Amino acid sequence: MSLRLATDVRVRRESWGLLFYRQMPHKLCFVKSGDWLQPAHFDGTWDWESVAGDISRRTGTPEEIVERSLSRLAGRLMKNRVISDEIH
Amino acid sequence: MKYTDWPLSAPVNITWEITRQCNLNCIHCLSASSVASPGELSLKECKGIVDQLAALKVFEINFGGGEPLLKEYFLPLLRYIHAKGIVTCISTNGTVLTDEAVAMFSNNPLVNVQVSLDGATAEVNDAIRGEGTFRKIISGIGLLSGKNIPLSINTVVTSLNYHQLDKLKELATSYGARLRVSRFRPSGRARESWEALKLEPSQMQSLSEWLSGDPSILTGDSFFSISQEGRRQLGLDMCGAARMTACIDPSGDVFPCAFMQSDEFRGGNLREKSVKDIWDKAPAFINFRRLEPSSCRSCPRFDRCRGGCPAVAYFLTRDLDSPDPECLMSWNRESNGAG
Repeated sequence: MSLRLATDVRVRRESWGLLFYRQMPHKLCFVKSGDWLQPAHFDGTWDWESVAGDISRRTGTPEEIVERSLSRLAGRLMKNRVISDEIH
Repeated sequence: MKYTDWPLSAPVNITWEITRQCNLNCIHCLSASSVASPGELSLKECKGIVDQLAALKVFEINFGGGEPLLKEYFLPLLRYIHAKGIVTCISTNGTVLTDEAVAMFSNNPLVNVQVSLDGATAEVNDAIRGEGTFRKIISGIGLLSGKNIPLSINTVVTSLNYHQLDKLKELATSYGARLRVSRFRPSGRARESWEALKLEPSQMQSLSEWLSGDPSILTGDSFFSISQEGRRQLGLDMCGAARMTACIDPSGDVFPCAFMQSDEFRGGNLREKSVKDIWDKAPAFINFRRLEPSSCRSCPRFDRCRGGCPAVAYFLTRDLDSPDPECLMSWNRESNGAG
């Protein structure tokens, strides 16, 4: 599944991670991900597996640990309707 | 550390009072608008500011004033902003809508419109917004209705209209709009009408209970979120001024919030400094982020509200270390103590 922001969602980088903004209904989602995640990870060209690989390569964190964290995050972002659940 | 203390590189949203010009003369106007200020920003200057906001990834601009639709370049400016992908909310009195404006707002995913109406009847609304305005505002709402425009009717809750809230909701619903209620604050012309229009503690308590019972009512106001648990899920639960939001006035001065447009809170002017500079370095903004009324620290809700609305506290007491004078927790404590 590719990672794509829901249609009315925007994201920006902050010193502590990513800030997601949903237009309707208004919602802010603070993700304290440090350097792990980048806004580009949500441009539709990545899936969770490739994001986990990218983080692991850049930070040296074992991929299975990254995957566990990302799995929890994915649930949260999905619940908040920040990312779409389209299958590509 | 609470999420609202996580430092932001830029505001989430900007309140932009694009002009002081207004065709109405409402007795509670927060910015005391009537005629344009000397030295209001030009379209070219506004576009430069939009470029900065886009580069900083500010998500949303909320336009007010004054009546934004009276600014001669307002629609071209909106087009420019939308081309950058920034969401806009236009707060209008609804009396000067043109076909061009309505067409631009229709089916536009980057537009939200909020029309101000302060009573469900002409008698109540016109006492606040001026003779004959109810009819004109309703006509404006009619022009916007059914055009696929996210539409809300905004009511500043005062002692004159709080008993009409159910009717206002019905009226909003009949036009496919949602009702938004805002807090009456003693800034601008409201300083003069404060004593006459402010809610009594029992009315504020009733308002709080009414809001608790209806999650469909929009507030966008931290005050209503701190007053009861249910609404905390619906929005900010503490003051976002200088933390998440800032206000640009018609001549480019930047303040932590639209209700704090006094010289002592001026972060700088955008003709001299950048948005980023003011947001990161202006002493007024840095000091504002540190506000924590000392008398609130022992309150069990302190971590949630940090003292409520500094604007109300400041304009009523001239002391930023004062708690929000309309805090329901304080009233409850006082009445329990008195009992």
